[in-house]
Amino acid sequence: MNGWMGRIVRIDLGSGRQEDIPVDPETRRRFLGGRGLGVRLYADMCPATIPPFAPENALLFMTGPLTGTVMTSGRYQVVSRSPLTGTICDSSSGGSFGAALKGAGFDGLVITGRAERPVFLFVYDGTVEVRDASELWGLDTHATQTSIQEQTSAKASVACIGPAGENRVPFASILNDRDRAAGRGGMGALMGAKNLKAVAALGGKAVAIADADGYKTMSARLERAVDKNAVTGKSLQVLGTAVLVNVINAHGMFPTENFRRGVFNDAEGISGEKIAESLLLRQSACYKCPIGCGRTTRTRNRQGEGPEYETVWAFGANLGISDLEVIAEANYACNELGLDTITMGGTIGCAMELCEAGAWDARFRWGDADRLDGWVRDTAHVRGLGAELALGSKRLAEKYGQPELAMQVKGMELPAYDPRGAQGMALAYATSSRGGCHMRGYMIMPEILGHPVFLDRFSTGGKPEIVALFQDIAAVVDSSVLCRFLQFAVGVSTLGEMLRTVTGLDFSDAELMTVGRRITTLERLFNNRAGFTRADDTLPPRFFNEEFQNGSSRHRRVRLEEMLDAYYAVRGWDREGAPLPATLAELGL
Amino acid sequence: MAGKIAVKFYALLRRRLGTSTVHVEADGLTVLELLRRVEKQAGRPFLDEFLDRERGLLAGTMILVNGENVRLKAKLETLVHAGDTMDLFSPVGGG
Repeated sequence: MNGWMGRIVRIDLGSGRQEDIPVDPETRRRFLGGRGLGVRLYADMCPATIPPFAPENALLFMTGPLTGTVMTSGRYQVVSRSPLTGTICDSSSGGSFGAALKGAGFDGLVITGRAERPVFLFVYDGTVEVRDASELWGLDTHATQTSIQEQTSAKASVACIGPAGENRVPFASILNDRDRAAGRGGMGALMGAKNLKAVAALGGKAVAIADADGYKTMSARLERAVDKNAVTGKSLQVLGTAVLVNVINAHGMFPTENFRRGVFNDAEGISGEKIAESLLLRQSACYKCPIGCGRTTRTRNRQGEGPEYETVWAFGANLGISDLEVIAEANYACNELGLDTITMGGTIGCAMELCEAGAWDARFRWGDADRLDGWVRDTAHVRGLGAELALGSKRLAEKYGQPELAMQVKGMELPAYDPRGAQGMALAYATSSRGGCHMRGYMIMPEILGHPVFLDRFSTGGKPEIVALFQDIAAVVDSSVLCRFLQFAVGVSTLGEMLRTVTGLDFSDAELMTVGRRITTLERLFNNRAGFTRADDTLPPRFFNEEFQNGSSRHRRVRLEEMLDAYYAVRGWDREGAPLPATLAELGL
Repeated sequence: MAGKIAVKFYALLRRRLGTSTVHVEADGLTVLELLRRVEKQAGRPFLDEFLDRERGLLAGTMILVNGENVRLKAKLETLVHAGDTMDLFSPVGGG
């Protein structure tokens, strides 16, 4: 078999039983791998109402047909029902773990049950060993990875949880290759609920390539395109993702103090430019990646990875904190403890506004840099005020009677783009299959950055069609599995060419877009069954009712209702957001 | 700075020019006229990062006047007045 390894194994941690899950060629073609095939298998296995922490819930680690082949193909996707949102969720991480898992002979692992004692999986040469992890329980992610490499192989790639995952914090992340994170949606908490501390993968098998000559030519062309592109060939390398701080701030949509303002006066001090001249030690890169957007940094006290754009915002502007070293060290702590930085920062921002509003009598104050590290650590250990923060912003704000102060969609905290500054991004947030996330449909590309074409950010015209298109492309990339940043340099046709040379299957642009639409529609079906309706495709009321008074996004509100019906129509869904029978028939769902 | 236009450089452009801001004494210039003036004042050429040979704006570049992209206005013919701010970004990305 070319592209895929042809094996997905199910491991039940309760019984210790293992069995291969057969996947027919047609299903592979229709869902590819990674997110798409993961969601297909998951939806076949688990009812949409399954409690995420139930032992019978499945947790999938998935690779795709391109994993372990072209540049940026070390990624993997983790799929399950999110304990944070209750939606279907897939969380993506870079590094090399995906390539190692595939090199061990597997397209994916399906993990069910709950181990009696803490365990880790060691995956190599077509074998999955369940090993004792009692001694590792309680360790942070770095110590865990080091210890497991000592017990298995120095070359093993380890995906693991820290204390936050063990304690089932619903936004616990999974860390691999030291500091790469499957951050969003709390997949780490699901590992904790299964008593699964880590999965270690040791590669070795090569992926069979269908058209070796074509693959070589295509790879060379891809390298040239990435090198020549101003974003992938220059900006991301030199300045990392935090270069966006000044861009988004200049557009008046850099969320400040829990999205109450769109301009952060100290933006320059936490920008990518500033990181490059102050904290940056060196750039870091994932498997076979010539871009290297990662930042290895150093503060006066410590050394670590990050902060990237989202994190520098979440712990910076969002909390009114402008001390870059404090922000970086909170990022290091999240990596070690296994916490999603966006939800962590979003929840602290919510706490600060709750306290300011008098709804909660606790000591959360804007700009309080001295307490940030303590809040993060207490959250991972679910102690003191951290036990409250560990609820996430939605449950926290509900508890204190002001649910509108949580900046979330479907329970997932919003990232670093105020939707009043980009109407398409607003629609993408509202309709994302895993809640308030920018990665399902990154409309900042056309609405702010001008890729692949420039769109008027304040217009709603044409946005439903383009949001659906971006969401579908994202689903294909996440199922292949590659890094989204390649989208700055190449389009869907190149992705089809990669898939053709690797798998031997011809994928036209139209077929790939249908694959994307099939995946996003399947996710929608799952969410509908989990109880989500049109009423959940919305944003916090702040974005409809409050306007900024300064900055270039001032006097703007989100006009979601102008777009939502048209979006459903483009998708082939009814007015309540349920896929129509004809749509399901067309997509073979 | 009421009689001047503040021109700010970001990302790689800032490195290339070695400065983050210049102030230009002018009022009512088009963006293109202002860019030429800035290039002269900065002492280093940089317009090749923004304009193609036909003097069209290169894809991915962002020129903001008071926070609004000139592509939404009159592009290079957009008028810039004393007291305005012009932000210049070479192509960037992130997420």
